[in-house]
Amino acid sequence: MALTVRPISAEEHLAYVSRQRSVSFLQTPAWARVKTEWRSESLGWFRGSELVGAGLVLHRPIPRLKRYTLAYLPEGPSIDWSGDLAEWLDPLAAYLKAHGAFAVRLGPPVRTATWSAAQVKEGVASDDVRRLTDLAPEHRDAAGARVVSQLRAAGWLAQSPEDGFGVGQPQYTYEIPLADRTEADVLKGMNQLWRRNIKRAEKEGVEVTVSDPAAGRARREEDLAAFHDLYVHTAQRDHFTPRPLSYFRTMVEAMSAEDPERIKLYFARHEGDLVAATIMVRVGAHAWYSYGASSTEKRDVRGSNALQWAMMRDAIAAGCDVYDLRGITPTLSADDPHVGLIQFKAGTGGQAVEYAGEWDLPLRSVLYKAFTLYMSRR
Amino acid sequence: MSLDLIVDGERWRAHLRTVASSTPGLVPVAKGNGYGLGLGRLARRAEWLGVDTLAVGTYDELPEVASRFPGSLLVLTPWRPWVAPLAPDLQRRVIHTISRPADLGALTARQQAPRVVLERMTSMRRHGLSAAELWDTAPIARRRARIEGVTIHLPMTGGNLAEARRLMDDVVGAEASTVWISHLTLDELRSLQAAYPDITIRPRVGTGLWLGDRGALSVTAKVLDVHPLSRGESYGYRQRHGASGHLVIASGGTAHGIGLAAPSGDAGLRGRAAVAAKGGLETLGVLRSPYVLDGKPLHFAEPPHMQASMLLLPRGTRVPEVGEKLDVRVRYTATTFDSVTVS
Repeated sequence: MALTVRPISAEEHLAYVSRQRSVSFLQTPAWARVKTEWRSESLGWFRGSELVGAGLVLHRPIPRLKRYTLAYLPEGPSIDWSGDLAEWLDPLAAYLKAHGAFAVRLGPPVRTATWSAAQVKEGVASDDVRRLTDLAPEHRDAAGARVVSQLRAAGWLAQSPEDGFGVGQPQYTYEIPLADRTEADVLKGMNQLWRRNIKRAEKEGVEVTVSDPAAGRARREEDLAAFHDLYVHTAQRDHFTPRPLSYFRTMVEAMSAEDPERIKLYFARHEGDLVAATIMVRVGAHAWYSYGASSTEKRDVRGSNALQWAMMRDAIAAGCDVYDLRGITPTLSADDPHVGLIQFKAGTGGQAVEYAGEWDLPLRSVLYKAFTLYMSRR
Repeated sequence: MSLDLIVDGERWRAHLRTVASSTPGLVPVAKGNGYGLGLGRLARRAEWLGVDTLAVGTYDELPEVASRFPGSLLVLTPWRPWVAPLAPDLQRRVIHTISRPADLGALTARQQAPRVVLERMTSMRRHGLSAAELWDTAPIARRRARIEGVTIHLPMTGGNLAEARRLMDDVVGAEASTVWISHLTLDELRSLQAAYPDITIRPRVGTGLWLGDRGALSVTAKVLDVHPLSRGESYGYRQRHGASGHLVIASGGTAHGIGLAAPSGDAGLRGRAAVAAKGGLETLGVLRSPYVLDGKPLHFAEPPHMQASMLLLPRGTRVPEVGEKLDVRVRYTATTFDSVTVS
């Protein structure tokens, strides 16, 4: 029976998400409430009357194009990517075209290759290896390759930039597999420096606390303010533009409303001083380290390592398959400004993961051309 | 009375060594007339090069090479149900090309656990499986046959790397660890291998290997006779007249492939001129022959005969002696030599 695509309510969408082993947090109905500057809708794939797939579509408006939008499904949709994709994507494209999209952009949550921490380390050390992809992956994913091949054959256009972070979601991430693993096992997978730093924090008496979803509004505001102050401090030190407090408030409120376990703030204090704060997000069996902040003083008490370890342990306790450290750049040159980030993440053990990346399907070619021109001139 | 191919053995072998050492995973191709050199000779050279696999064009070519090359034999033409069963000793050595899903079932019904490569359709659109067919067929091949990889036949237009890279997703999607590939430059092969260090790449090379150093090869015919020709005297099967100078009768004719150049797809004037120079009679209305005297191409007096050609020597040109050698520019893959001598 052919699949059909139609809008579903946030409740139906959430019920679908909670039945999955994991779905990107960018594909939860709550994310629509975080991205309020974009109109959004939840779509369902139906086989007969059965809901068998879902996606959150963010409609990105383009200046001077009032009627038409780029329909964006970040890290989605959540469908069966293992078979014939035309069955799933054709009705999506048809629906979106009929409802004013000039193009669809999606990010299949499908892996194409993985590299071990040891390989990443070896790659950084070697002068011959400039990029992760210069190394034979430990595992190349056949299902992922089939997705890429089918998208290309169906006229989808790869968007992921060769290097670095593009405007969309990163194609390369760093993840720690947790399925069937104990805390001891995960700890053993870390490099010596990480283990030493975790121990150091314990010895220094760093105290870790976690936000309590059952606590009242006053406590939540207090936590948010504490996190945000340190985050703004971090932004100034590391030269990035911080998001406003209201963004995090919306995120925590919207995501907690969906599931009290969805988002948590972690704090590390040393003798009463806040030395690090992080945010962890979890959907089903997938946990993400989402935001982090740290003090400039007292770095040697290793508050950040303590928080990472606390989040990993909580993810293990929650039965997660993956602890996700989010994006990395695939460059491994020792002189690349991003290499420190991948080295820090690789120290946790785990693996570098390549995903299928983001893909566009133009639905109205003239508008799409104008859009790509506009984007390239920004 | 002959058309002879003379090979500067030392130079030719050095070239073969160079290609082999700069082409990891090389699979020499020996098919058709053996690139003018003969299938048997190429088979022996392949053994000498130390490669593990030799590719042939068709099943009919197997007997010619099987006794001379001891390794695996890849048949490039896809298997079809009418192919006769192989002798037991060949069954272990031959790698079949599967280009239609049904052929795998038919082949495995005739031979137990045959060695196969699965051919993926390329922009050539000659033979091959679609991506979906490849992915469906690969697991069956793993169960019922010995899968040796995916094979890709690319066009000769050059710049095939982009297509090869796209097709690698299909190779990975089939969970194959080896890809057999043609018509990529050394740089393109290196680039592909760098992007897929975990996949074994087997470049199939024919022309670039055997005929890659043209300077090592020379083709000669002999002057069989020379006759002065006055204006008005007629000559040849067609009794033409009007020209004057000398008639040179040279060895080599249609039986050798002289004057029967394969149609060239090369639409440019230079390309057509090159074809004409190699014996194509259809172009430009000028009967330029492939015979060369003192560095200048001679004209046909009339279309070549079966084993000799009548050439027209204009007045004022040096007249060659009977028995003198003439250089001949041939298309090696379409020429049958009376002798091949490797020095």
